[in-house]
Amino acid sequence: MTTSSQVRKVEVKPNYENVAWKWMRYSGIALIPLAWTHVLIKDIVVGVHAIDLEYVIVQWSSIGWQVFDILLLAFAFAHGMNGLRQVSFDFIHGAGARKAVSWGLFVMWLVISAMGAIAIIAAAQNHLANL
Amino acid sequence: MEVNLRIFRYNPEAGRNKPSYDNYTLEADPTDRVLDLLELVKSYHDGTLSFRRSCAHGVCGSDAMRINGRNYLACKVLVQDVGNNITVEPILGMQIIKDMIVDMEPFFESYRSISPFLVNDEIPEDGKERLQTIEQRERFDDTTKCILCAACTTSCPSFWSNDEFVGPATIVNAHRFIFDSRDTAPEKRLDILNEESGAWKCRTAFNCTQACPREIHVTQAIAEVKNALTTGRLD
Repeated sequence: MTTSSQVRKVEVKPNYENVAWKWMRYSGIALIPLAWTHVLIKDIVVGVHAIDLEYVIVQWSSIGWQVFDILLLAFAFAHGMNGLRQVSFDFIHGAGARKAVSWGLFVMWLVISAMGAIAIIAAAQNHLANL
Repeated sequence: MEVNLRIFRYNPEAGRNKPSYDNYTLEADPTDRVLDLLELVKSYHDGTLSFRRSCAHGVCGSDAMRINGRNYLACKVLVQDVGNNITVEPILGMQIIKDMIVDMEPFFESYRSISPFLVNDEIPEDGKERLQTIEQRERFDDTTKCILCAACTTSCPSFWSNDEFVGPATIVNAHRFIFDSRDTAPEKRLDILNEESGAWKCRTAFNCTQACPREIHVTQAIAEVKNALTTGRLD
């Protein structure tokens, strides 16, 4: 019997939906260690009642924690924004309106993530300047 | 046993312009099918009651309807499975023409869009047959069982909200050919399912898997298509 046993592979051009779907999965995977480490340290090891401004400033003086918290904010917010985009499409059916919503949510993600990153870095620099 | 049957009615031709419900109290056996009850009403109570049925044995897929809020084939679900208070309504997300009869054309238009037939213009090596291994045939065996009843598509919350969504049934039937080693047009089908109205609209609600009267693992088939869309692999 002659049958083809080689792996069949095709070329699928990635588009916005394809990339957005992958992004939800990859950011979801990245959020598992980020979110659980955050919960473990802030809520269990340290405890929320022990966290004050001093604790946050000292923690953000470490470049590792700066990167960690910026990534946590960016990934979690992007994950949520893409979810919101999907849900909003259940109610918004016009192509133009969908495009506007997509861009609006993207800009919102960019602004909030940038503000968070600036706050984290500025707080750390302020702490170092006061040492 | 006594069964309280509540049937959705809409028949503009007979002056029933607004959707309403008719109630019947019938004597039935627990092993009677819901289709038997509808036949009883049509034959002895109200001949204007309209619903699709053909083989009445779960093969033709004509009589998908909402029974107590869930999609079933009326010919496959027994009275003992749904209790003695039964509400029968048309499947959701389609234009209702009359009683349980909905306009299936958008459903079949979506189905036709993915070329649901084997595409291969090459001449087989022996000039007669395109052979497959048992494993190659098993790869798409589950999705060959679809009878196009639309129970999956019309149970999908994403389809209810987005009628441009191709729906689970179309993806299942695309799966049947995409993973067939004899087929030469998987890219064409995947390009259609890669669009915004394609497989990405699936939110993995699993309603389709629950609704399928042929017990096809619909959500799994959709996940396999998504995997092919992201990796290009068809093994």
